Amino acid sequence: MIGCRHTIVAVACVVAATVSWAGAAELDEIQSRRELVWAGDQEGGGPHVFPDPANPRRLTGFEVEFAKLLAGELGVKARFQQGQWDRLPLLLDQSVDCVINGLELTPERRRDYGCSRPYFGYALQMVGRRAAPPATLADLAEPGPSGAWRIGVLTGSAAEIEMRARAARGEAQIEVIGYDGTLDSMEQVQTGVLDAAVLDDCIVAFYADRFAGLRNVDRPFAGGLYTVLTSHRTPKLAAAIDEAIGRLIADGRLKTLYDRWDLAGRQQMLMLRDAAEIPVARGRTLGELLRQALPLLLSSAGMTVLLSCTAFPLAVAAGLAVAVGRLYGPAWLRPLLTGYVEVLRGTPLMLQLYAIFFLLPKIGLALPALAAAIIGLALNYSAYESEIYRAGLKAVPLGQFEAALSLGLTKWQALRHVLVPQAVRIVMPPVTSDFIALFKDTSVCSAITVIELTKRYSVLALSTGRIVELAVVTAVLYLCMSWPLALLSRWFESRLDRPAEGGP
Amino acid sequence: MKGMANRMIEVDSLTKQRAGRPVLDAVSLRGTEAGVTVLVGASGSGKSTLLRCLNGLEIFEGGSITIAGHRLAAGGQSTVGLDDLRRDVGMVFQQFNLFPHLSVLDNVMLAPRVVSKLPVEEARSRAVDLLDRVGLSAFAAARPATLSGGQQQRVAIARALAMRPRVMLFDEPTSALDPTMTSEVLEVIVDLAKGGQTMVVVTHDYGFAKRAATWVVELAAGRVIRQGTATEVLP
Repeated sequence: MIGCRHTIVAVACVVAATVSWAGAAELDEIQSRRELVWAGDQEGGGPHVFPDPANPRRLTGFEVEFAKLLAGELGVKARFQQGQWDRLPLLLDQSVDCVINGLELTPERRRDYGCSRPYFGYALQMVGRRAAPPATLADLAEPGPSGAWRIGVLTGSAAEIEMRARAARGEAQIEVIGYDGTLDSMEQVQTGVLDAAVLDDCIVAFYADRFAGLRNVDRPFAGGLYTVLTSHRTPKLAAAIDEAIGRLIADGRLKTLYDRWDLAGRQQMLMLRDAAEIPVARGRTLGELLRQALPLLLSSAGMTVLLSCTAFPLAVAAGLAVAVGRLYGPAWLRPLLTGYVEVLRGTPLMLQLYAIFFLLPKIGLALPALAAAIIGLALNYSAYESEIYRAGLKAVPLGQFEAALSLGLTKWQALRHVLVPQAVRIVMPPVTSDFIALFKDTSVCSAITVIELTKRYSVLALSTGRIVELAVVTAVLYLCMSWPLALLSRWFESRLDRPAEGGP
Repeated sequence: MKGMANRMIEVDSLTKQRAGRPVLDAVSLRGTEAGVTVLVGASGSGKSTLLRCLNGLEIFEGGSITIAGHRLAAGGQSTVGLDDLRRDVGMVFQQFNLFPHLSVLDNVMLAPRVVSKLPVEEARSRAVDLLDRVGLSAFAAARPATLSGGQQQRVAIARALAMRPRVMLFDEPTSALDPTMTSEVLEVIVDLAKGGQTMVVVTHDYGFAKRAATWVVELAAGRVIRQGTATEVLP
């Protein structure tokens, strides 16, 4: 009993310690644990944070060195925490103390987070293919050779905000396509899927050699400043970071760092010294928020419905064909179909979508994102549907097949008129349930730039800071769509629960 | 062997093994060229397996079968496609095996429509006639599951007859039925026999065998131990 009580106390202590530790730490806590945890995204992250090509287990980048300097000023060591770029600020509620990863200083960020004084100035740079339009930024005012210019940006970046604003104001005839990875848009320009991409100038300069087929279009434009993000709950840390940056600028250590990365000029330093105050954005009421967000969420829900309602019938048809082929097809076909099912079931949907969208263009087959998403979902789910149909076909009693054959039906006629119609009734409940699963899996398609409901939520939540309210609205929208499917599924089941048909 | 071409059923030295053990051992039949042949014997004697060999549902390793003018040889070889052979050889199963997703009428119409490509009207009138003949025209629109076992078996007979087979095979057609339903099914089979339908019936029902059989074959452990008329073979 005593031992038991001790265990309970110990568990309670651990839980309490964990709870109090969750979220960013304040300055004194950081100094007592002698470690500043900072977050960034190393995927395609040059020159900010990226794996050292000479030793990929080691991180390098000007922000890695900057974080080290910053931590040194606080008297602690720096520790890196990996995160997905457009979700980095959310990590401040988890286990990181600050975010240092090319986050632009904006009024919205100042409202929602602690923003340090700027540590770097950037401008946007457009890149296109060599010897291909557009030749200048001004060219975007008129449509390109094949309609609206297709412009790639990093999702959630200042480039996305800037280009969408230009499109909305009618200044540019462009379709803006958001990518999760920094380099995805440059890849897509190179393969010809996009006309141009817009990125921070330091990124373009850093990767210029890798993308030798690309060129800078026009001069840098629409600049801004990078800030270190902290939580509003750690004001002492924020103040200490501001002071540290001030010292790094004043004594030239930041310039030395940037010189080494070939990022600095006198102008850069003057700009940082004189950086203007960015105003704090005004909070919005829930009504204002919904008026702005709901139409966007609804149209993205439409995309979710479009994806599921086109991909699923394709998946069911392909799955049925695969199941029939595996059970009744020629012997040489069966191992091929088994391989098809195992490969598609055994690899992540996200990877399959990437392969279709990013790799096929390399062999000259560039699919629009929507088509790639539908094909990817249909292929992936066809593997699951085929397994369901295989079980369904096996569940039809052998006597049914024999009775059909005895009447002179061929194998295929027996399948079509006797076995498949019965199997379809057997598999209806699991197939309907898979439809609901696919319906939710459509959110993975945001990885290849299709903006469906979850992606739209994520973008809106981060830009407005209303994470909880919008999550509730989004969940309600999902339920409104999946509830009828659940009812349909239950109806099928009730039909099948009726007394068994067939023999005595 | 005079009149060989007219003989409906001929079984010669049929041998079949399952898991290394013989289930049919040099089975040859005489006197089965027409009329009603009844196969009797204990469970496991091989009589159902023999019947299923006759329409190619089972393949065999040795011997040959000639049925309705088609020849079946060892290893599943046949002179025509099995589906062609089966058009001429109808089969009725112990468990009926009606198609549960189709109405009674559609069960009977399916093969004429799909296999013989009959126009809908012709297939329907043929099916209606057959259901009338087995006394079930009132149940044309019903689902098989709503019928009694005896009614289901009569539908199964009508379904097999819809292809106008030259030979009918019955695999213990009444074993799953109670006595009342048994007699209603047997009446239908006896009527068919009187009409000159060539058939092979696997049964335990000696009463039926004595009434209808023109030839009785008794099997034990995969071998023919007696064959002859009902009075010669049955106790």
